[in-house]
Amino acid sequence: MLVAELLRAIYPPAAARASVALLLVLGSAVNAAELRIGNGGEPLTLDPHRYNLNLEEKILADLFEGLTAHDAHGRIVPGAATSWTTSADGLVWTFKLRPDGRWSDGQPVTADDFVFAFRRLLDPKTAASLAFFMYAIEGAAAANAGGIPVEDIAVRALDSHRLEVRLARPFPFFAERLIYPTGFPLPKHVVERLGDDWVKPGNMASNGAFTLADWQPQGFVRVEKNAHFHAAGDVSLDAVRYFPTADRNAAYNRYRNGELDIIGDFPPGEIDWLRREMPDHLHISPLLSIMYLVFNVTEPPFDDARVRRALALAIDRELITGRVLQSAEVPSPTFVPPMVADYRSAVAAVAADTEQAAKLLAEAGYDEANPLRITLRYIAGADNKKVHVAIAAMWRAIGVQTSLHHAELNAHFAELRQGAFQVAQAGWFGENNPEHYLELLMSTTGDVNYGRFADVETDELMTQAKDAVELDARLALLRQAEVAGLSLDPVVPLYAVTIRSLVDPRVTGWHPNPRNVHPARYLGVRAAP
Amino acid sequence: MGRYLLRRLAFALITLFAVVTVTFFLARAAPGGPFDGERRLPPEVEANLRAAYDLDKPVVHQYARYLGMLGRGDLGPSFRHKDFSVNELIGRGLPISVTIGGLALALAVVVGVTAGTFAATARDRARDRLLVTAATLGLALPPIIVAPLLVLVFAVGLGWFPAGGYDTARSYVLPVIALSLPYAAAFTRLSRGSVAEVLGRPHVLTARSKGMPTWRIVHRHVLPSALIPVVSFLGPAAAALLAGSMVIEEVFSLPGLGRYFVQGALNRDYTLVTGTVIVYAALVLTFNLLADLCYARLDPRIRHA
Amino acid sequence: MRDALFGSLLARVCCGFLGAVVLAAALGPWLSPWEFDAVDWDAIDTAPSLAHWFGTDGVGRDLLTRTLAGARISIAIALAATVVSCCIGIPWGATAGYLGGRTDQAMMRIVDGLYALPFILLVILLVALFGRNIVLLFAALGAVSWLDLARIVRGQTLAVKSEAYLEAARGLGAPTFTVIRRHVVPNVLGPALVYATLTVPGVIIAESFLSFLGLGVQEPQTSWGVLIADGAREMHSSPWQLVFPATMLTLTLFAFNILGDRLRDAVDPH
Repeated sequence: MLVAELLRAIYPPAAARASVALLLVLGSAVNAAELRIGNGGEPLTLDPHRYNLNLEEKILADLFEGLTAHDAHGRIVPGAATSWTTSADGLVWTFKLRPDGRWSDGQPVTADDFVFAFRRLLDPKTAASLAFFMYAIEGAAAANAGGIPVEDIAVRALDSHRLEVRLARPFPFFAERLIYPTGFPLPKHVVERLGDDWVKPGNMASNGAFTLADWQPQGFVRVEKNAHFHAAGDVSLDAVRYFPTADRNAAYNRYRNGELDIIGDFPPGEIDWLRREMPDHLHISPLLSIMYLVFNVTEPPFDDARVRRALALAIDRELITGRVLQSAEVPSPTFVPPMVADYRSAVAAVAADTEQAAKLLAEAGYDEANPLRITLRYIAGADNKKVHVAIAAMWRAIGVQTSLHHAELNAHFAELRQGAFQVAQAGWFGENNPEHYLELLMSTTGDVNYGRFADVETDELMTQAKDAVELDARLALLRQAEVAGLSLDPVVPLYAVTIRSLVDPRVTGWHPNPRNVHPARYLGVRAAP
Repeated sequence: MGRYLLRRLAFALITLFAVVTVTFFLARAAPGGPFDGERRLPPEVEANLRAAYDLDKPVVHQYARYLGMLGRGDLGPSFRHKDFSVNELIGRGLPISVTIGGLALALAVVVGVTAGTFAATARDRARDRLLVTAATLGLALPPIIVAPLLVLVFAVGLGWFPAGGYDTARSYVLPVIALSLPYAAAFTRLSRGSVAEVLGRPHVLTARSKGMPTWRIVHRHVLPSALIPVVSFLGPAAAALLAGSMVIEEVFSLPGLGRYFVQGALNRDYTLVTGTVIVYAALVLTFNLLADLCYARLDPRIRHA
Repeated sequence: MRDALFGSLLARVCCGFLGAVVLAAALGPWLSPWEFDAVDWDAIDTAPSLAHWFGTDGVGRDLLTRTLAGARISIAIALAATVVSCCIGIPWGATAGYLGGRTDQAMMRIVDGLYALPFILLVILLVALFGRNIVLLFAALGAVSWLDLARIVRGQTLAVKSEAYLEAARGLGAPTFTVIRRHVVPNVLGPALVYATLTVPGVIIAESFLSFLGLGVQEPQTSWGVLIADGAREMHSSPWQLVFPATMLTLTLFAFNILGDRLRDAVDPH
């Protein structure tokens, strides 16, 4: 507490803030309606088809509008389409585009722009890493693999403002799937003229509430209000700047110093102090996500279900979330995150039981003379480090000797996909759709089923669920699949991540939600008093 | 003198070539590839990407092509920052790094030489002891300790300076101080030694005995010779400053070369890593050449060689 | 040399401090009631107390024990790197100095060239590309810190070159490298080793930089650089996590520098 507390006592944040405000008045001119957001890292691209990161998605969602979109509370609402119909067999979706949709250069947004975009996304030459998001569409997977021409994908413009999409099999969550940048329209007239350079500031035309004004790599991305946006009259911000705040301490320091208006992460040790001193800035809520451990079931020792069960039983989730992480993470014994709507998992919570765990290990042939030695891999980062050190300590209590190995995100997942691991951290984010998570346990999913788990019963139930048109029947089958899969412990679900945000009280229209989406078109900044 | 510099220049170019070669092959010998991501790309897609970046050809072919591009001043496309070329990235990062590094070095020289001279003129008195101890302590305070403390006290605590970014001149104050501290200390020790040595030379003693004021003696007779070791340390100091500048750019979220280099290395962005190393090496070598030039002007033995 | 180490009060204090650090690093983790990787679930992220003198880290591990365990790694890396630098620097300097002439010029020109290189970039590249491997760290840091040593050894070699026993060995027709190995190296070894200790603080700093950039040793192992990097992340709420390792690092570097100055003066009077 020493220095920091002392300084805080002498210079409360209000005073610091006032002095900053004074400096702003005296010095540099900052536009009152510009919002400064700490966006957690540097975007690697702003091409909706080449993006890969959530932080890129956030900027893209302010630049473009897909057929469906998020509202201020993260609910899915009509976007570039005003309405849509679905055929009785759930396969044919027909979207009606809004008549007043315009690109930022004034050109109308047409069904052709969507057809063009979907074809470009699925063209193998584009090398879109998230192209599989659209594999629900008939012909999409084949076209992306180069098997059929992209013109044969079942997407067509019925007229300038009506789009028809035919799916390969029923997919009731398709409207939700369309909110990703992989479903955005592209300004055909610009991309055809400029090629890959169309994404540069000055070239890009977008159909969302904002347009790309400036991009200083590792410095900031600046977007400005799009005068041609159909609801431009309701957009109160003139501009937004996204800062690549990869280091959450630096982000926190800059927020505390009044240099940022919103940050999405900060050191968790600060929560108590923030609760006391800046309660009107602090927002904590669970994110739609699951963090878990995955076992490589193809090799010893984790080809033995008893060993997997033993390690799962040794982990006390409440200890991890309550004592180690300490910022209201939601412990989750289920693989589908607890806040997924309409889905009540049938997996029963089992309390940590070191005795039973030790017994199972002994049965599998491990004891003090012949201890189980394993390597646990995790992604570099302060919270990850704490969690996995704690897990290693829990395993030590049942006689397991754990070596830890950390690597950067990309290297980590490359190793996982190649099966070059024993047990490792993994996480899955994003959708309000249990299938999105449970697919990871299917043997046909490919390399995101990192542990190569294959169970006939789980596969069978999942396949049946995917063919079910009626939602309740589908969910019931998914529940059974989850129980069947988890009974073999291919993964150990741990917890749902917490969204920790600091939002300046001057910012209006910001509502916490489990998807953690906050479209800038609904945000505003009150002038400083 | 002309020949001396020419030889130096040739040597610098050979060194640069060696650096390019080592970095190029090191980056490609490493396990893993630049397209590793959270999800694996379909084989066709990865093949397309490899072809687009020329990675499907033999390494020797890639190397020859890279050298050809280098000859035209083109560092290639970035593998990770898909919307930018390495030239564009370095073009934006370089001014920031050079500003921070240059200011830090200048501050270190000014503070160091002043403090060193001040100490030497009062050899073994309290002022000297204090400065020497302070300098030794300064050497023991690397940026990884000083930078976070400066942020805690002067940015978050007092709110005098920004905690990051590069929007205003004030943004540069804390990073420059944190980066320059150990070098200011090193220059203090160095110049104290050399000033003291020159002060003991006969012509200086004569000037002293004639009653010339100390500051004039120092200015006229001492500093020109005493600065030689300081100048010759500038080159190595500039090279050493790099490591510190990476830490500083990380702490203060500055989009400089150091950040591109570290991120590029961690993400196997071959072209970005090779590009930043080349620019860094070229900078340091140029700086060494300039230091050599100053050195040659100051030291008569080299001037006539 | 004795005077250099024990001649003044300050030098004696520094010697005592460094001795205490090395001793504590060697014995401390063994004497401490806590293991360096043991988690105290009831004392997570707590300030210094009677049970945990330096407080605990974010997972409830005793910081005193970890600071000492970190000292082990930091000092081990420094020593290993110094050994590597001796293995390169001493033969290099001795060969250059003994052979003289064009060979000497060429060899020393290479050293000059390497001085001007941003070597740390290659070290970072190596560690980032080939993984956080402690042996790699030893080797890489050693390989970048032999330059000073080579210069010093060359100077010392020039000084002993004309002495009678070398002339005699040469006169007897001993092969050049045998002369260097048998007669030159043993005679310059003393001062060279003293100088080699001067590279220790530099290596400790370099290691801490790498750790700060996230390229340090793997958990649960730790080093001062890793502890400082972690501490800096929690410095608002848990300043003790930064203060103790940072103080240890600073004091150690300070003591090394003070002693280094005196040793340098003793070995190399000008």
